[in-house]
This record gives sequence, structure tokens and C-alpha cells, in this order.
Amino acid sequence: MSVKAEAAPQTPSRTPPTAPQWSGAQRKILIVDDSSTVLLMERTLLSRNNYEVIAARDGQEGVEKALAEKPDLILMDVVMPRMNGFDALRRLRSYQSTQHIPVIMVTTRGELQSVESGYENGCNDYVTKPFGALELLVKVKSCLGE
Amino acid sequence: MAKSPSPGQAEKALSSAQRHGQSLKAVNEKLADLVASLRNQKRRLAEYSQSGAPPASGGKGEASMVSDPSERTLAAELALARETLEHSRQEEGRIRERLAEIESENRRLCDEYVAVQEQNSELVNLYAAIERLHGAPDRTEVLSAIQEIVVNMVGSEEMALFELAPDGRRLVPAHAFGVESDALREIPVGAGPVGRAAAEGRIHVTGEDGASAFPENPHLTACVPLKLGTKVTGALAIYRLLGHKSALTDFDRELFALLEKHAALALHASGLQERIAGER
Repeated sequence: MSVKAEAAPQTPSRTPPTAPQWSGAQRKILIVDDSSTVLLMERTLLSRNNYEVIAARDGQEGVEKALAEKPDLILMDVVMPRMNGFDALRRLRSYQSTQHIPVIMVTTRGELQSVESGYENGCNDYVTKPFGALELLVKVKSCLGE
Repeated sequence: MAKSPSPGQAEKALSSAQRHGQSLKAVNEKLADLVASLRNQKRRLAEYSQSGAPPASGGKGEASMVSDPSERTLAAELALARETLEHSRQEEGRIRERLAEIESENRRLCDEYVAVQEQNSELVNLYAAIERLHGAPDRTEVLSAIQEIVVNMVGSEEMALFELAPDGRRLVPAHAFGVESDALREIPVGAGPVGRAAAEGRIHVTGEDGASAFPENPHLTACVPLKLGTKVTGALAIYRLLGHKSALTDFDRELFALLEKHAALALHASGLQERIAGER
């Protein structure tokens, strides 16, 4: 599937979107990370907390899966092959069907410039690795309005 | 026709009427006082019923001091109301105490919940680390898993892995990430911090205050010997931590202990696998 499946990208919104209120159904979370270790950690953590988890190994695959699967939340790494997390985030914000999906950046890039860049591109929250499970869960629940 | 009274009789009658009038006046005054007292009682009870505050005390033995039955009834009702109020106050005090106990218990449970979640998080990470090391299909993937563990769990993007040469005297660089090439030279066992960790078979880490334990190389954060049982097969050198991670934690030490045993085992297993595949 191509990332250009949806035509006419719109201007990225500067205001991070908020998730709709929880309806009781199992929420779907897309993890975008090239590290198998991180995917395993996050998948284990989230599935144990009753979330449906799907994964992508780089930014491009992340955008494709977001367009196809319409997840409730995306956890996005920054440094990845093919398309980095910031570019993927910009893409997501340009498509009407994905611009409302909350995105949490989960990355080793903790310097101020990267954090600012994340928020400028429209992320909802920013978590630096190594992260604590509780910290990530709290942010996930907050972004999902739970 | 009635006989008109004599002057003496008239004086007597007048005197009697005057006494009777005075007596009536005294009774009237008493009744006026009683009415005023009842009105006062009524007003206080009305205030009490509206505000819940007890009416001003009429003094001890209020009920016994009044003789009128209706006033006695009012006084008895007032006493009952006071008793009910006192009982309610005691009940409120007990409820407040219980609430404080429940709040304290709630705080304790919240702290325990956080501690359990943190422990759970550490177990998830340790599980993921072991799963990655032993689930790796080949040597390249094992080395990649060790690097990912160091980057994402320890929080360092500078590491080098050395393996013991067949002669058992040298540590040979096997894999590195984010370090200068001069860190990748062969190291004699026992020389420098990495060589010492391999010689002693003991994990060396910087102090909790961040003070380096390695004067020869202040960028080093930890040296982890890789061991198969008690036999050292290599060493893992971890250099600077990421900027947002100030110091190593207890969990990092647990992770080093895991790497000490399982990284060596995973590398050994992948080597055996490759040898078997080569022989076929």
C-alpha cells in the first residue's frame, strides 16, 4: 500500500488533536519502532493492559499502517530507516483520516531541539528512552482520554 | 328592695375588692411573664430547627424549674434535641476518624500499586531482554540485540563488545556502536578497566553520584564481563549515558547481571549454530 493513497494532503495542524472519549471497545495502538527489543517491550506492556497492538518497523510503514488500520494512538520512534519519526508525523498530520490520531514520540533523542521539533510537528506527548512502564502507561491513557 | 349597706360594710367591701384586684393583678403579671417565657422558648426552638445550632441554654434543670405542662413538654423536647445533637456530633467524629483511616489506607495502597507497577515494568524489560537475546537466530542478531538493550534499556549510545581470544590473554573487539575506533583495539586481559573486569570476572560501574570508577577512561560507565558459568568469554564496555539519564539505577545493575550471563550464552549458542550449519 502506498502512503499516497489519500490525495490532497492538508496543511499540518499545529494544535495536537485529542482522542475521542473511550467507548468501551478495545483500543488499538500502533507502535512504530525499528528496534525489536522496544517493540517487544511495548507490545508486552500494552497487550497486558488490554490494548490491541500493531507494529511497524519504520516511518513509512507506520504511515501506511495508520492509514489502513486507523489506530486510536500511535507510539512513534524518531531515528528509523526509510522515513524518520518527525517526517512520518508530518505525513500523518497532513492526511484528513490520520490528522486526529494522537501521537506520542518515544525516543532516545532527549535534547531540547528534538523535543521542540516533535511538538512543532504536532505530537501530543514526548517520552524519552529508557522509559518506565508506568510513565508510558499514564501518557497512553491520558492521550486516549481514559 | 335591698337595704343599703352601712358605712362600715361599704369600707369592708371596698377593702376586699382592692385586695382581690391586687391579687388578680399579681396573677396577671405572672401570666404575662409566663407568656413571655413561652414566646422566648418558641423563638429559640424555631432558631434551632432552622440553623441546627443549639439554643441558648436555659440553665440546668430547666424542665424541673417550670411548672406549666406545655412548658415542661417543650423543655423535654429541647433536652431530647440536645441529646440527639450530641449523639450526631459523636457519630460525625467517628466517621471522620474512619475517613482518615481509609484515606491513609488508600495512600498506602496507591504507593504499593506504583511499586508493583515499577516492579512489573522491570520484569517486562528483563523478559524482553532475555527473549531478544535467546530468540535471536544468528550471531549478527544477538549482537544487534545486545546493542538495542544497551541503547533502549540502559540509555547509552556508546558501547563496545570484546570477546576473549583463543589464547585467553587478549580481548578482541567484536562489535561497537557510537565509539571512536581507538576504543576498538585489542586489550590485554587485566589491562585497563575493560581488561580488569574480564580478569576479575566482576562487573565494574560508576558510583551512584556519577563519579567515574575508571580514572583511565572517565567516559566509561560500566564494564560487564561476559561469562559462561564461571568462565569469562568476553567483556561489554558501556561508555557515556544519554544526556537525559544522569546515573545508573538499580535496574541497570540487574540488567548488567543478566547480560553478564545471558549475552555470553546467546553468543556461544549462535556460534555453535553457525558451526553446525557450516559443517552441514
